[in-house]
Amino acid sequence: MSHGAVNNQRITKLATVRTVPYMTRRRTSRRRALVLGLTAASAVVLGGCAKDAPQDTWQPKGENAQKIHDLQWPIFMVAGIVGVIVMSVVAFVVVRYRDKGQPMPEQTHGKPALEIALTILPALILVGVGIPTVSTIFDLAESSDTECIINVTGQQWWWEYDYPAQEGCGGIPTPIVTSGQLVIPANTNVMLRLTSRDVIHSFWIPSLNGKKDTVPGRVHSLRMQANQPGIYAGQCTEFCGLSHANMKMEAVALDQADFDTWVANQLEEYVRPEAGSQAALGEATFTANCAYCHQVNGLSTTSPDGEVTPVLANPDQFVVSGAAPNLTHLMTRNTFAGATWDLLTQECRDRVWNASPEEFGALYLQGVTEECLNAVDLREWLRNAPAKKPMYASDAQKAESGGKVRGMPALGLNETQIDQIIAYLLERN
Amino acid sequence: MAIIERPDTVPALAGAGAPAVVTPAKAFGVLRRPVATTGWRSWVFTVDHKKLGIMYGVVAMFFFLVGGVEALLIRLQLAGPEGTVLSAGLYNEMFTMHATTMIFLFVMPMAAAFANYMIPLQIGARDVAFPRINAFGFWCFLAGGLFLNTSWFLGGAADGGWFMYQPNANALFSPSHGIDFWGLGLQITGIASLTGALNLIVTILNMRAPGMTLMKMPIFTWMILVVQFLLVFAIPVITVALFLLMFQREFDATFFDVSSGADPLLWQHLFWIFGHPEVYILVLPAFGMVSEILPVFSRKPLFGYRFVVFSGAAIGFVGWGVWAHHMFASGLGPVSVAVFSVATMLIAIPTGVKIVNWTLTMWGGKLWFTTSMLFAIGLVVQFTIGGLSGVTHAVAPSDTQQTDTYYIVAHFHYVIFGGAVLGFFAGFYYWWPKMFGKMLSERIGKWNFWLMIIGMNLTFGPMHVIGLQGMPRRTMNWTEARAGEGFFNIGFWNRVSSVGSFVLAVGVGMFLLNVWQTHKKSSTTAKAPLDPWDARSLEWMTASPPKEHNFDSIPTVHALDEFFHRKYEVDHDSGDVRKVASGEEILAAEEAKGDKHIHLPSPSYWPVILAFALPVMGYGVIYNRLLIVVGGFIVLLAMFAWALEPSVADDSDYDPPADGGGTNKELATIG
Amino acid sequence: MADIAVHEPVSDGHAQGGHTTSTGLSNNKMAMWLFLGSECLLFGGLISTYMLYRGRHPADAGPDQIFDIPFTSMSSFVLLMSSLTMVLAVSAAAQKDDRRTNLWLTVTALLGATFVGGQVYEFTAFYREGVGFTSSLFSSSFFTLTGFHGVHVTVGIIMLMALVGVNKRGRIPGDKAEVVELVGLYWHFVDVVWIIIFTLVYLIPT
Repeated sequence: MSHGAVNNQRITKLATVRTVPYMTRRRTSRRRALVLGLTAASAVVLGGCAKDAPQDTWQPKGENAQKIHDLQWPIFMVAGIVGVIVMSVVAFVVVRYRDKGQPMPEQTHGKPALEIALTILPALILVGVGIPTVSTIFDLAESSDTECIINVTGQQWWWEYDYPAQEGCGGIPTPIVTSGQLVIPANTNVMLRLTSRDVIHSFWIPSLNGKKDTVPGRVHSLRMQANQPGIYAGQCTEFCGLSHANMKMEAVALDQADFDTWVANQLEEYVRPEAGSQAALGEATFTANCAYCHQVNGLSTTSPDGEVTPVLANPDQFVVSGAAPNLTHLMTRNTFAGATWDLLTQECRDRVWNASPEEFGALYLQGVTEECLNAVDLREWLRNAPAKKPMYASDAQKAESGGKVRGMPALGLNETQIDQIIAYLLERN
Repeated sequence: MAIIERPDTVPALAGAGAPAVVTPAKAFGVLRRPVATTGWRSWVFTVDHKKLGIMYGVVAMFFFLVGGVEALLIRLQLAGPEGTVLSAGLYNEMFTMHATTMIFLFVMPMAAAFANYMIPLQIGARDVAFPRINAFGFWCFLAGGLFLNTSWFLGGAADGGWFMYQPNANALFSPSHGIDFWGLGLQITGIASLTGALNLIVTILNMRAPGMTLMKMPIFTWMILVVQFLLVFAIPVITVALFLLMFQREFDATFFDVSSGADPLLWQHLFWIFGHPEVYILVLPAFGMVSEILPVFSRKPLFGYRFVVFSGAAIGFVGWGVWAHHMFASGLGPVSVAVFSVATMLIAIPTGVKIVNWTLTMWGGKLWFTTSMLFAIGLVVQFTIGGLSGVTHAVAPSDTQQTDTYYIVAHFHYVIFGGAVLGFFAGFYYWWPKMFGKMLSERIGKWNFWLMIIGMNLTFGPMHVIGLQGMPRRTMNWTEARAGEGFFNIGFWNRVSSVGSFVLAVGVGMFLLNVWQTHKKSSTTAKAPLDPWDARSLEWMTASPPKEHNFDSIPTVHALDEFFHRKYEVDHDSGDVRKVASGEEILAAEEAKGDKHIHLPSPSYWPVILAFALPVMGYGVIYNRLLIVVGGFIVLLAMFAWALEPSVADDSDYDPPADGGGTNKELATIG
Repeated sequence: MADIAVHEPVSDGHAQGGHTTSTGLSNNKMAMWLFLGSECLLFGGLISTYMLYRGRHPADAGPDQIFDIPFTSMSSFVLLMSSLTMVLAVSAAAQKDDRRTNLWLTVTALLGATFVGGQVYEFTAFYREGVGFTSSLFSSSFFTLTGFHGVHVTVGIIMLMALVGVNKRGRIPGDKAEVVELVGLYWHFVDVVWIIIFTLVYLIPT
């Protein structure tokens, strides 16, 4: 990501703030303070040029995260300053009052006036912290100004997003179901309605907002807004079992025109693969092996006498959570298997992630092309999913979970079948 | 050595008198009372608070090492990207058991070890109020801890995280028996905590030496008192939660089954109503220790004793009103979040008071940097960092960025390791000569201190960065794709943290080395002086290690820091301090007026039998309901036998005193 | 805690010999009060769980459908009466009247047993109506709450009977009146808890 001058300045400032807790960590002496100062300075330099982790909590990219940030950095500053003061005093005391053979000190039991003053002082600081805290809490719970609703459902170990038909988001005529990547219009106040199908998960895109738990049986709301088109990383943050670490997500913000394109694309009719092609064989293999859990909208079978039957997935009969990702437009998203692996090769992925806000939309809407497909991970996944991502999907584990799997079982596909399925999936764009 | 017939001729400084020869009566039908004064029986059936304290300490230290090994495995896994040292399932078991072990089987019982050993000595009592219940508590802790850890060999340990959030901890999502072992094991150790708490409260309130008013109590005793009150009210709440968990997993109830309409937040509320006071249960004992140690090595009284007492009580009280700050991301609604956010900030005030008072205690003092003092100063500094990072997530919106990330892991390790554990090590070095009559090596001690301080900062410091860079906790791996680059990259700091954990392990190893060096057979370590630190409180006004009856005569207390004030004369006008007596002289004077015949509560079989019947019932719940009946039968039998056994043996169980007088069954003090 | 009676660390049945505690309250009594304080939180947790879940049941198997208020009122009355007889036992013990102490302790235990018997009957009746422990959240939390209370009453009965048995052989260690008083404290506590449960569970409509 290329930082403009302003951007760079902000990052430098952030880095300065961020070093405070580390400074406070060490026991201080003058020499050590000097070393620390140098370290902190180098941290600023390094932090200024290098790219921080995608889930950095100190780089807000949307209004909500910005509100949190505006609240938290002064508090980190205050905490840092208090820490430095305490440590300096301790260091001073340790040096000044070490046993140099002085006589027994006066046996003073305390000075109540000083004590009371030193109790009131932190209380005042905390009042100063408390007031903006409370107002930010209520700001972030505001729901009257949101224009677009997306339902977010967590289950072991992936996220499903469904867009109810609405006039918000620039108009969505028919519901859309997708997973892994949450696509939102940029510069729009989006309201996420969060719930879960099995255990508690937590939805978190650090650069857009703080996290909120998704609790089965409850619906929580969370505001989302991104200032610019781009891709923002996130991860499930409530421990949810075996593959908690592999339950990631990404939010993708598109400007309104691109978002409309994306919506139109999601609602495109199903196109049957060309008869006799590898993809057509793949359609049959998919129908036989995958379609009982994974829905592809529009997929159907035709009996010899010409009767067309839609293929409907019944994941509720096979999976504990009762859901499996909808694959209708798999190749419009860049990730699979709980957004843990990329559908894009490293090179293509970097291009998307490093795109400027202006170029991003077009690049993202290209989806996954054949050249860009990361076939290695996808093949491994199709060969033996639980070996790649720990899940409860073996026969023995199935028996323990009431005869249903949690996650995707190993399907025992051979290489030919895998080739066919990949060819078929490549056309799901 | 339950029965002390102190020979008049043996001076107390030379240690306890020769064991008396006794012939016990049949105490209950068939079984004679245990009377062994040496060998394993003298430990297993003991009711002596000092022996129980030592056993608590040894077992807690063992579990500290177990939890430490678990921690090292976790750090090995996270040392590189996509670690494969542990499988996903094993990793989940590892962090669950690391937390469970450290909290319930190390920090809590280690505090109990110090409390058991020191409280009666600090308040001038000869034992606790209920010695057999004390023994029962220890054996429950051991039985529960072992029961919990047998799950490793019986299909896998608990894997739901120490907070065991529902419904992830339901049988459907965690089919192994690990969580059953966890729930039942914690019930058993909970009995230990509850009985221990009742016992210590009664001991502290009722058995103080004459003249020791509440505001003349040593500060450690005060903090232990606050903690025991927290336990009395917190343990039943987790007990309810654990019962619901057991009914859910073992008897098909649906308390947390969402498809039956249950609300998973019920568990969170129950757990954290217990869980937040628990945090103070963990750190307040250590606060008490450093509040003893800093004054001794500063040669000054604790600055603002009253403020420290009241701030401790305030922390204990406000600690009940902040549990939901663990749930800021749970979806509570803005009003609750705002209330709990502000309440949480309030608790920073009494905590800050403590830091200020410790610093001002050293101010103007004459600081003696023993290993114990270094650990105490280490606590002040390290805990301050944990406290300040705590303020950053008392701010609820900020917390929604930090909760469940490594930033929180950093925070509570600075609080618990920097608070409780450093406090314990300060306590080890300070009280070791008291408990064992030998000094630990100060040379190895310094190594121990610096390696632990460097190790802990290397281990937990980077976690601040890792967390703020967005790495969630309880994840079995991290990937390069989300690690970032440059100074703040997650990969580098994870490696630093892993290296640090091994430095920390070597630091802890130094302590074990020190103990071995001091106590090995060929050790040349001399006997510790009576008063090696020029201490201030009552526990130093007796032999080291103390005789079984603690004090030859119960001292009368005139001041806070009684021992100091007997040694020194303070000129109130000039502030001059003049030494007027040595510890030896004071002790000799006390011994001269010693009680002649002191009879202590007698050993008993029943506490240990009763305690070990509980895991039998536990296995019964999990494997075979018949075992519940067997265990229950033993429990009932042991209870009846216990009830019918007098706590002090019959007169006929004692050899007649040399001078032919009657026995004087002294336990409660006059005052 | 059937064993609290025995920890009096002073001489068996002799005069107190000048043993007083720092607060003046005996160790046993203080421990019992603390224990009961702890029990308050235990029942507090169980009652909260019940209050949260009392409305979560099938339409035809809720509290309003299955409770037999007159019956439970009777058994509650019996339990209340047992508190009265317990007071009589304590006062008899204070007057060192062994015969009457044993008599009232036995009556208290019998009244308690009647209450527990009523509870067993009630439970089986519910079970026959199809409301078992696992039927609904309401039933699980109802049986858990009242079951815990029933176990407390049962433990109390065992303590009372043990006290009578031991008293007859003259083997109660320490201050006999105090031992009876301690069991009485426990018994009254269990009664008071029942009054709260009865009000919240049976009397307040959902």
